[in-house]
Amino acid sequence: MWQKLKEYGGGFVKVRMTGYSPERFLNLCAARQIRLWSVEADKAGYTFYAELKDYRRVRPLVRKAGVHLKIQGKYGLPFFLHRSRKRKLWAAGAGAFVLLLFVLSRFIWNISVEGNLRFTDDTLLHYLDTLDVGYGCRKSQVDCASLEESIRGAFPEIIWVSARVSGTRLLIHLKENDGVASLPVKDESPRDLAAGEAGTITRMVVRQGKAQVEPGDVVEPGQVLISGSVPIISDDGEVVNVQYVHGDGDIYARTEKTYTSPVSKLVACRTRTGTVRHGLRLRVLFWEVFFPPPVSGDLSWEMVSETTQVCLLEAFYLPVWIERVTAREYSRSERPRTQEELEALAEGVQTRKSETFLKKGVPIIENDVRILDKGTSYEIQAHFVVEEQIGIGQKLEQKEEFLTADERNRDYH
Amino acid sequence: MLEEVKEAAAEGLKLPKDAALGEMLLSFVGSRSVTVENYRGILFYDEETVTLKGRRGKAVIRGRGLHIDYYDQDEMRISGTIRSLELGG
Repeated sequence: MWQKLKEYGGGFVKVRMTGYSPERFLNLCAARQIRLWSVEADKAGYTFYAELKDYRRVRPLVRKAGVHLKIQGKYGLPFFLHRSRKRKLWAAGAGAFVLLLFVLSRFIWNISVEGNLRFTDDTLLHYLDTLDVGYGCRKSQVDCASLEESIRGAFPEIIWVSARVSGTRLLIHLKENDGVASLPVKDESPRDLAAGEAGTITRMVVRQGKAQVEPGDVVEPGQVLISGSVPIISDDGEVVNVQYVHGDGDIYARTEKTYTSPVSKLVACRTRTGTVRHGLRLRVLFWEVFFPPPVSGDLSWEMVSETTQVCLLEAFYLPVWIERVTAREYSRSERPRTQEELEALAEGVQTRKSETFLKKGVPIIENDVRILDKGTSYEIQAHFVVEEQIGIGQKLEQKEEFLTADERNRDYH
Repeated sequence: MLEEVKEAAAEGLKLPKDAALGEMLLSFVGSRSVTVENYRGILFYDEETVTLKGRRGKAVIRGRGLHIDYYDQDEMRISGTIRSLELGG
């Protein structure tokens, strides 16, 4: 490869040799380290290739060996430039192209963000815009160190950032904190624990507060399960004070849940006719030209576009985007939903809901699914009986007379 | 006499003959090409015959459409349809 490039760069010639002693000429060339290659013999003479600089050195050898040389072809850069010396516009075009590439290489034309899960590319790119770093900004304007610092400052969840400019690309690698960003503050304010939904208590553990129900009780939503008001009763049975605590415990109840999902009786179908049309959108810097696909007729078209950014090398992106638009013609139709499809849908609803419970660690005691005909449509009803925690915090009404001085002051300020 | 001593020494020391005695080394790739090392010069060349001079004799390669891909003072490669090789003093 290197040898070929060297030959092309320096130029080489194809030579026809005739005469008295060609073998002597070949030996003399070898002795003087003049490289000849692809030497071919025929009835009338010989042809070979030689580099231009070597060909200039063979004149004395020609006389010594008594041969005649005639150039049959000239190849390589020096000959190409010589041939092109009168093509001024061509040279100007080539020069302008090189200049354009040089100018374009001073700007950022592609930003790649990797390692982001929580923050989308758009979020980060919008933030970069606020720092005046975006498509088309000058490379000298991008200070990678301060950029890294700004991103870390603006997004505390990002714990590591690396920014670097490679060619016309700005590459940002980051790592987000997988753990919890901050420890949640434990709520210790007085409260009751009430039922979030109706059910029958199956088991309960009270950690703080006074239990208001017991296993076997049927509770309604909003009913207090553990009271945060703990009365202090004197020896003669009178309430002398009430202590307000953060009602806490695990209350499990058997609850029933019904999920409904309406399903239409007809299924909309798209049938592609097979007709495909193509369009093109070309965007150069901030100008764009759109050649829409020639869609016509009464039927509908679905359009899909795919954008590609032009790059010369891996890191040399240009501000040229090509968007290929493909339009496919389709016709709409409707047909009645079959029983199999309906059953598959019902099973899907049941499976999805069951998986949701299992993911939460909620045991399912019973489940069944029914398909109801509602006249114009169907309704899928999935019914579950589960055992789950039903306690939710509820604000506690504190009586003035039992508040301590500190608590009163806290409430007033 | 000197040549015999050299040959005996090369034999005794188990040195390769091409390196120790300057013998021609010919490596064939089927009948399509042959690489010749340690030759001294080209005695004759046309499309059917290439005669090479070695230190202790000559090699005549015969065939059809013979051409020299490259050559320098020590090594050359000949391609074409090689039919025979004749070695002589």
